Amino acid sequence: MGEVGLEAYLFVGAVLFVCGVVCMATKRNGIGVLMGVELVLNGANVNFVAFSRYTPLGLDGQATALFVVVLAAAEAAVALAIALNYYNNHLTIDVDRGNELQG
Amino acid sequence: MDFQSLFQQFLSGGGTLQASTYRSLVLFLPELILCGSIVAMLLARLTSLDKCIPTHWFALLGSLGAFIAVLAQFWELSIDGQPSTLLFTGLAVHDEFSVFFRGFLLFFLVFVVALTVLSGIPDQEDAPDFYTLLCGAVVGMMVMSSANHLLMLFLGIEMASVPSYAMTGFLKGRRQSSEASLKFVVYGAGAAGVMLFGISLLAGLTGTAEFGLLGERLHSIFANGFTASHPEARIAILALLMISVGFAFKLSLVPFHFWCPDAFEGAPAEVAGFLSIASKAAAFALLVRFCMSVTGSAAGVVQGLSLTMGLGLGTLAIITATFGNMAAYSQTNAKRMLAYSTIAHAGYMLMAVSALLVLRSTTGSELAASPEQMKQAIEGLLYYLAVYMFMNLGAFSIIALIRNQTFSEEIDDYKGLIQQAPLLAVGMAICLFSLVGIPPLGGFYGKFFIFAAVFDATRVHWFMWVVLAAGGFNTVLSLFYYVRLAKTMCMDVRPVDARQVSMPSNSPSGMYVLLVCGMVLVLGVIIQPLSRVANHAAAAFF
Repeated sequence: MGEVGLEAYLFVGAVLFVCGVVCMATKRNGIGVLMGVELVLNGANVNFVAFSRYTPLGLDGQATALFVVVLAAAEAAVALAIALNYYNNHLTIDVDRGNELQG
Repeated sequence: MDFQSLFQQFLSGGGTLQASTYRSLVLFLPELILCGSIVAMLLARLTSLDKCIPTHWFALLGSLGAFIAVLAQFWELSIDGQPSTLLFTGLAVHDEFSVFFRGFLLFFLVFVVALTVLSGIPDQEDAPDFYTLLCGAVVGMMVMSSANHLLMLFLGIEMASVPSYAMTGFLKGRRQSSEASLKFVVYGAGAAGVMLFGISLLAGLTGTAEFGLLGERLHSIFANGFTASHPEARIAILALLMISVGFAFKLSLVPFHFWCPDAFEGAPAEVAGFLSIASKAAAFALLVRFCMSVTGSAAGVVQGLSLTMGLGLGTLAIITATFGNMAAYSQTNAKRMLAYSTIAHAGYMLMAVSALLVLRSTTGSELAASPEQMKQAIEGLLYYLAVYMFMNLGAFSIIALIRNQTFSEEIDDYKGLIQQAPLLAVGMAICLFSLVGIPPLGGFYGKFFIFAAVFDATRVHWFMWVVLAAGGFNTVLSLFYYVRLAKTMCMDVRPVDARQVSMPSNSPSGMYVLLVCGMVLVLGVIIQPLSRVANHAAAAFF
């Protein structure tokens, strides 16, 4: 099987990134926004792993990708706890309904 | 490889500038002490020891111990005058600059812990959680201030942010608090994701993630000049724009400032004070180090890139300072007003970084700025941060202490406070006037140093005149809303039905306010020691 080359990986990474940003910008559901963030982080991860194979970046890229996986999990845990707390107080998870703090 | 040789490598491995793992661990001691106190707090809770020994003692002793360790390192560095050391095979760097910021953060942590003890915001049940988050965030900020690798940059930012999200929503039953933390976490996670994508592009473009090599590689890529038609230049600009989204979020620069007023209004005043100072300081440390390494190395400076970044940050600084000051006018909540003032101050401090980069872009040409001038830009930033720590902490702690007695943070409820608690009203007035930058107070010298650096940069590019004018204009603009709050507290008549507030100066809280506000005054009168320390820290880059 032939090599697909760096460009293909970067393309996948960029598609994931754009999907994630669109998801973050359009979703009103708090959990949906967090899913967009996961897409963005994993898009970056695809880049890191591809660069570690095709550029002198080497193992630094793979190590970074592993750390990002762990960080994404930690961030998701805290974000879900905060979302649950928000739900307990507001009985909704719609981020647009949080409008008590304005000015 | 047998155990003996592994152990030998642990003790003496590493190159000329790189420390061995053992030496790295020794230099990493302050962070380790703080981590140890976090573990101790969690164990104490597990064994119900926190019922007899309050948790804040662990946090206080841990942060004090770590601060003393940093002081020892600073002393060691100042007599040796040795160059910077790379820790852990180049992941982190140990120099005067990182030691300054680690000391700054730990010193501030001691004050924050003392404030939370005095105002009693975490009750005994929640105290282990709160102090664990607080100390954990500071460990992340210390990693930020000594990061020397793109991974450490991202890791530090996340380690500092994630506990901050949780601390913002710490008052679990309050609707506002939960809303604030949800907004904070959504914006923060989004900004971090975009930043990580930018980091991946930069790492791929240069083929390295180490700060030291980053500048060299960019310098060799752009050896023929930095123009927008260069395809690599476009990738570099895109990557830097994405990374600056993350920085702009941490520093609450316009247009990524939306979280700041909401988070500050919803969070307890103690947490808001912590976020406004510690996370800004760490982000500025990281920004300066990142900019200095991206724009070049000892081999040479990428002049076009440095100038572009400097002017870009200057534009951002103007917009941020102006917007922050304009929006602060109409606020009725004291914490929200101070949040906008925090945004404006981030703008002033960013002017120093902008001046630094613009000055740096002349390196190697006939107009070349001397290292002394660039050092002054960093020195100004550090002095401003140190003063800002006391004046903002003073303002937020007074808000917290008033809240404990009146249960209100509205500016209208502060009317005529001077008749009941003169100490709080006068202390607040000192902090506010220092935030404006009125001469005998510390804030004046901070602003003066930064504007002097911007003035130095005007001979390089005419745009710096605009930055300087915007800085001066904003200082005048900010006078009005700060003075309005001071006038409300000191000149108005206290309504008859208002809640009683008392704060004798011999109570612990009174002494705390006296100490913090006294430091604002002292830094305005005796500037020499701190400015020498700041200059010494700035020397790490030259």
